[in-house]
Amino acid sequence: MAINLVKGQTIDLRKNDKGESYDLSSVTIGLGWDVRQTKSGGFLGKIFGGAAEEVEYDLDAIAFLLDKNGKVVNMGRTIQTSNGRTVNMYEGDVIYFNSMKHPSGHIWLTGDNRTGAGDGDDEQIIVKLDALDPKYDKILFVVSIYQGRKNNQHFGMVDNAFIRAVDSKGKEIAKFSLSGDATYNGMCSMTFAEVYRKDDSWKFRAIGDPHQTDNFIELLKKYTA
Amino acid sequence: MTVGLGWNPHEGTGYDFDLDVSAIMIDGNRFVPEDEFFVFYNNVDSPDSSVHHTGDDPSGGNSDGGDDESINVDLTRVDPKIQEILFVVTIHEAQARRQNFGQVRDSYIRIIDDLSNNEVCKYELGEDFSIETAIEFGRLYKRSGQWKFEASGIGYKEDLAFFLSKYFKGQIIK
Repeated sequence: MAINLVKGQTIDLRKNDKGESYDLSSVTIGLGWDVRQTKSGGFLGKIFGGAAEEVEYDLDAIAFLLDKNGKVVNMGRTIQTSNGRTVNMYEGDVIYFNSMKHPSGHIWLTGDNRTGAGDGDDEQIIVKLDALDPKYDKILFVVSIYQGRKNNQHFGMVDNAFIRAVDSKGKEIAKFSLSGDATYNGMCSMTFAEVYRKDDSWKFRAIGDPHQTDNFIELLKKYTA
Repeated sequence: MTVGLGWNPHEGTGYDFDLDVSAIMIDGNRFVPEDEFFVFYNNVDSPDSSVHHTGDDPSGGNSDGGDDESINVDLTRVDPKIQEILFVVTIHEAQARRQNFGQVRDSYIRIIDDLSNNEVCKYELGEDFSIETAIEFGRLYKRSGQWKFEASGIGYKEDLAFFLSKYFKGQIIK
């Protein structure tokens, strides 16, 4: 049984003899949501001809790789893409939509889904924890709504949004429902969870701390030297 | 100092007696500041390394006559924000297993001063309690920079979550 979490810190009093042990040789962070269903009409809708507009939400999963001091050491470099766009933090210790694969190859983002189309996980971050360089002590996972503030979007509006962690055997460790909970109204990002080294193994801890900002850089500031 | 919990295994048939000793580290606002300041079978070390739990004994078979579970406390290492450490003893799944302290043989909780090896305080749980399933053993608290111990020995028909929920704002999964 996975833990369906509400918010904030969690203490699990269940004992491991009930089969609650996870294989953390790798962990997959899955983010899923639905394309917003069109709301038909209403008074204004009728005035404007009931034009059914489908609102899209672009949720992003982000990972910060932290060292023993809890800091992101390698902030990556700035590159120019072939179409002349400038991309910051490329191939550093932050995994996000513009830098999807870590140089080590042991942590990557499966793709940037910009609409939530498809069932199940729409974006995943996969981490091969047992292969990760010892200098990385902790990985923090964050989810945010891309340009949520500008588009007046927040988790309370997104349908069936969730973020979850799954162990290497496919067992769900924890899952947060981001929709339909008043706690997430007005919130555009969340510190979801962390995995950290303890006594030569990895531990998972759910956090579920929501934030108003839609910009993960704001959250990253706490972890830069 | 060391808090030691001892009991003897169930001799008849039925569920094992699974007693647990836990330490709740509380700050000046009367809260557990981070979940790792709650030291129990699933989290055996506090972040400041001041409190260490020797590990879970699910049956009382760890030691014959001695402590089956212990919590070691090094007061010199306690994080300055911690003002109190509460020690509790609970019977795991007491309600589902229909168990209470009256049924457990030779159970006790005690404090040992590691320097002198003297027993400072001891409760015989089976004699002092009967229908209870959870006991607040005592607390260490800081007054003018000095740590003091106060024994309480109050029994409840409750579980570990009952104590934790008084000092922990997050979610408790039972």
